[in-house]
Amino acid sequence: MRAGKIENSETMLDIEKLRKQNHSILFIGSYPAIIQSALDYEFHLGRDKPSIKAIFASGRKFERYFFGKKEILLPVYSSWERIPEKIRNGITLFVNVASARRVLTLTVEAIDSLPSLSGGVIFAENVPEKHALDLRAITDSKNIFLIGPASVGLLIPETLKLGAIGGVESQQLIDAHIFDAGSVAVLSASGGMTNEIINIVTGMNKKISFSMSFGGDRFPLLRPSEAFLAAQNDPKTKTIIYFGELGGVDEYEVASLISEKKVTKTVIAYIAGVVAEIFPQAPQFGHAKAMAANQKETARAKRDVLAGVGVKIAESFSQFVDLIESLPSVPDDKKSNIIEDMSDRKHALIASSISKDTDGTVSILGEDLLSFSKKNSFAYIVSSLFLGKKIKSPEFEEFVDFVLRLLVDHGPYVSGAVNTIIASRAGRDLVSSLSAGLLTIGPRFGGAINEAAGNWLEGVMNNKNPGEFVEEFAAKKKYIPGIGHRKYRSDYPDPRVSEIISFSGGLKGKFTSFAREVEKITVGKKGNLILNVDGAIAAVALDILSEKEQYSNEELLHLSEIEFFNALFVLSRSVGFIAHFLDQKRLDEGIFRLEEDQVAQAEIHKE
Amino acid sequence: MARVALSEYAAKMALHTFLGLTYHGLSFNADTDVVEKINEFVRPDRKYVVKVDEGVKRRMKQGLVTLDTDLNGVILAIENYRKRGYSYFLVEEYVPHDSSLEKYLSLERTTLGTVVSYSHKGGIDIEKHKEEVETLLLKDLQAARSVAEGLGMDEEVFLKLKEAFDDLYFSFLEINPLVVKFDSFQILDIAGEVDSAAEFFVQDWSSSDFRNARASKLTDEEKNILRLSAKSPAAFKLNVLNPDGSIFMLLSGGGASIVLADEVKNIGHGGELANYGEYSGNPNEEETYIYTKNLLSLLLKSESDKKVLIIAGGVANFTDVRITFKGIINAISEVSEKLKDQGIEIYVRRGGPHQKEGLKLISDFVSENGLIGKVHGPEMILTDIIHEAIK
Repeated sequence: MRAGKIENSETMLDIEKLRKQNHSILFIGSYPAIIQSALDYEFHLGRDKPSIKAIFASGRKFERYFFGKKEILLPVYSSWERIPEKIRNGITLFVNVASARRVLTLTVEAIDSLPSLSGGVIFAENVPEKHALDLRAITDSKNIFLIGPASVGLLIPETLKLGAIGGVESQQLIDAHIFDAGSVAVLSASGGMTNEIINIVTGMNKKISFSMSFGGDRFPLLRPSEAFLAAQNDPKTKTIIYFGELGGVDEYEVASLISEKKVTKTVIAYIAGVVAEIFPQAPQFGHAKAMAANQKETARAKRDVLAGVGVKIAESFSQFVDLIESLPSVPDDKKSNIIEDMSDRKHALIASSISKDTDGTVSILGEDLLSFSKKNSFAYIVSSLFLGKKIKSPEFEEFVDFVLRLLVDHGPYVSGAVNTIIASRAGRDLVSSLSAGLLTIGPRFGGAINEAAGNWLEGVMNNKNPGEFVEEFAAKKKYIPGIGHRKYRSDYPDPRVSEIISFSGGLKGKFTSFAREVEKITVGKKGNLILNVDGAIAAVALDILSEKEQYSNEELLHLSEIEFFNALFVLSRSVGFIAHFLDQKRLDEGIFRLEEDQVAQAEIHKE
Repeated sequence: MARVALSEYAAKMALHTFLGLTYHGLSFNADTDVVEKINEFVRPDRKYVVKVDEGVKRRMKQGLVTLDTDLNGVILAIENYRKRGYSYFLVEEYVPHDSSLEKYLSLERTTLGTVVSYSHKGGIDIEKHKEEVETLLLKDLQAARSVAEGLGMDEEVFLKLKEAFDDLYFSFLEINPLVVKFDSFQILDIAGEVDSAAEFFVQDWSSSDFRNARASKLTDEEKNILRLSAKSPAAFKLNVLNPDGSIFMLLSGGGASIVLADEVKNIGHGGELANYGEYSGNPNEEETYIYTKNLLSLLLKSESDKKVLIIAGGVANFTDVRITFKGIINAISEVSEKLKDQGIEIYVRRGGPHQKEGLKLISDFVSENGLIGKVHGPEMILTDIIHEAIK
């Protein structure tokens, strides 16, 4: 008592449209061999840059791949919000290689988050049937196609290779001669047989118009009948080669498409599974669907129904090969013969994006070192190198220049200076003494700019109101980084802070405003809880980067994660530490030692 | 994997729990459980039903159900069934009921949605009055209403049952007989199939509740491969067709493996085919080794005097030929002397990632160990390897 025939439907898979579009591809999950093979495919097509834009996965920020023999870094994003809008809004296709458990959630999220999406491929095996049906219901209401689950993907020669289809090794792609487009569409539920047939076709000097595997699951999202319609609608396709298996009733749908003249192109087919006749009980073959529940689902019955509507049915695989051989041949392809061998490439040990040395000529951010340093101020060079790209605004350059000068030293009493002085007096050299000072920099000394930046960002990004923001810290009994001073108070303000804040003049300054709003609340609690130098630098730097350098909030968050904001302090204060070292050496002070009365013998009182 | 039969006990327990009902039944595994378990469950003043609970169809007709019996009857029934090779049993209290209240209900997940078949005349003779079984697609509330009406059941109760079907990831559920008294019902007999891929998403059943109707007839090697497949993200299948067959196949790829098996039948050697099986989804070296070792164990046991091992598959997309062939070679190397003694020949045809290295490894191995065989890449037509191996 199984379901009967289902209605013929249109398909969202438009091969000709996909050929004409410019694609931006997102990989959901990371499967390096598949990603590399898709990059290789595009490189061999002669593209100058890949259409794979990003990977959605957890872990590192970048993954390294080759584009040709050159190494490239693909950005990795762990949440949809983190993908810069420009990339996210441009994604047209995805390949979901995540595990079966995550397929439903991630695919639904992708559909919701990617406004320009045309479609995607789902690679994982073992996706629950119900999830496939849920996804089908979703795609039915949207203008997209989904291929899979358990699909090796879609190949459109001269255009794209979306998935493992065609192979994952560079040499396999070259040997398969799949770079030039022809007129033969290869369709199958079986990924392995899709590739086998592609190789048979191209091995006989015929070329593929497109090829896909819809996957061997019971409910493929893109049904075989839809693939046939896509082949029918494709102007390049003249012949459809279909490999089917016992199990399911897909071939009945295909047969009715043919008998209703909705598919009129030549179809050559082989339906595997007559071997099931020698089994005592209906066996489950490799694919989830490959089991004949009744007579109608047997290979024999399906061969008969297809033969009945004029499909060229092969009774054996060698006959199938003969039918393929009888198709017209085309001249040898151009592209596959000029492809360079990729077997000798290997990954570098280090990747760098800011400078290089080519035969003794050093360049910084793409410019010759000498001209770069002659042309630019120190602050410009520092900000550009720290950000990894040339800054655009005089505002940021001026601000960094001021900060570098302002933070240079804060007297001999602060802990970093003290450590430098002690190391110097112990007879250590310049680098050791400087290091002693630098090693002091951390959460309580000098390291608050970065933390403050992270907190201002979090407050603004999550639209927190300043009161709520302060209460969160109070509840955790924690100080707010960037707030509070030992000496200065609201009625005795720190003159440096107003100087810093003056750099936000003329800006919208959402971060600075937020910081000031927070300050209003904290000084209400205690007079010395003012916005301090660290908090002010963080807020103003965020505002200038956001408004003048067009950094998105996500990019700013990333800067705070990599400690960019502390870098300014570390660089500037190194000057002060070096100065203290030299000063001590000039004074020739002896070794430093504490007297007895300078150390208290602590006794801990217990109740 | 795909759709698998759930034990009747697990199916009933999961359904009852979902519906907020209590279920009293005893699941008894005669291989591991002690007889005291039955003594504790069975009360002297009540009568019981004993059923073989292994996903076997038409149990009543095959005499695998004992009705209306006491403690001694339960133990005796189980002993008798054990002699017939069965291990899993379900013991429940016997519920006398008016057989005119017996209904039939089945739900199946299909490409269109959930299809319901139901009849107001249920019971073991359902096949005899097939024409009274209504089948419809459960596409809206109206459809649900007509099913509920047809069964004389409260609509809410039926909808709750449908919800259980979805949330418990059933693919197929047949309740026959279903005893209906408007707002209450009794599920006397269930055959349930669930989607094994959904195990991660449910709490009320797990893979240990899966039952294989053929389990009592499986070889150790087949059981080993079931375990291997359950643990691995890659896929493994092994079915023994003829333990004393002469053609043993170590195949890769869901599609290619059927093509290769078809070819054996096509050229009239189906009767000699010892097994069907395949590995796919890029298994690692160790897994391929285990798979091969089990296949070789079957191969060496076969009484046939002219045996051949065919290692074949299509041009893989992403399964690494070098790595999988290393596993295969490791397993063969452990028994290469025995293979020689028995005069077993090896024929190879394969393509895919790192095929050059993989094919060279196995070709070198065959010649260095003095085995008889031939190795080919994708230049040979897939099914020609069958012709070469079976001369």
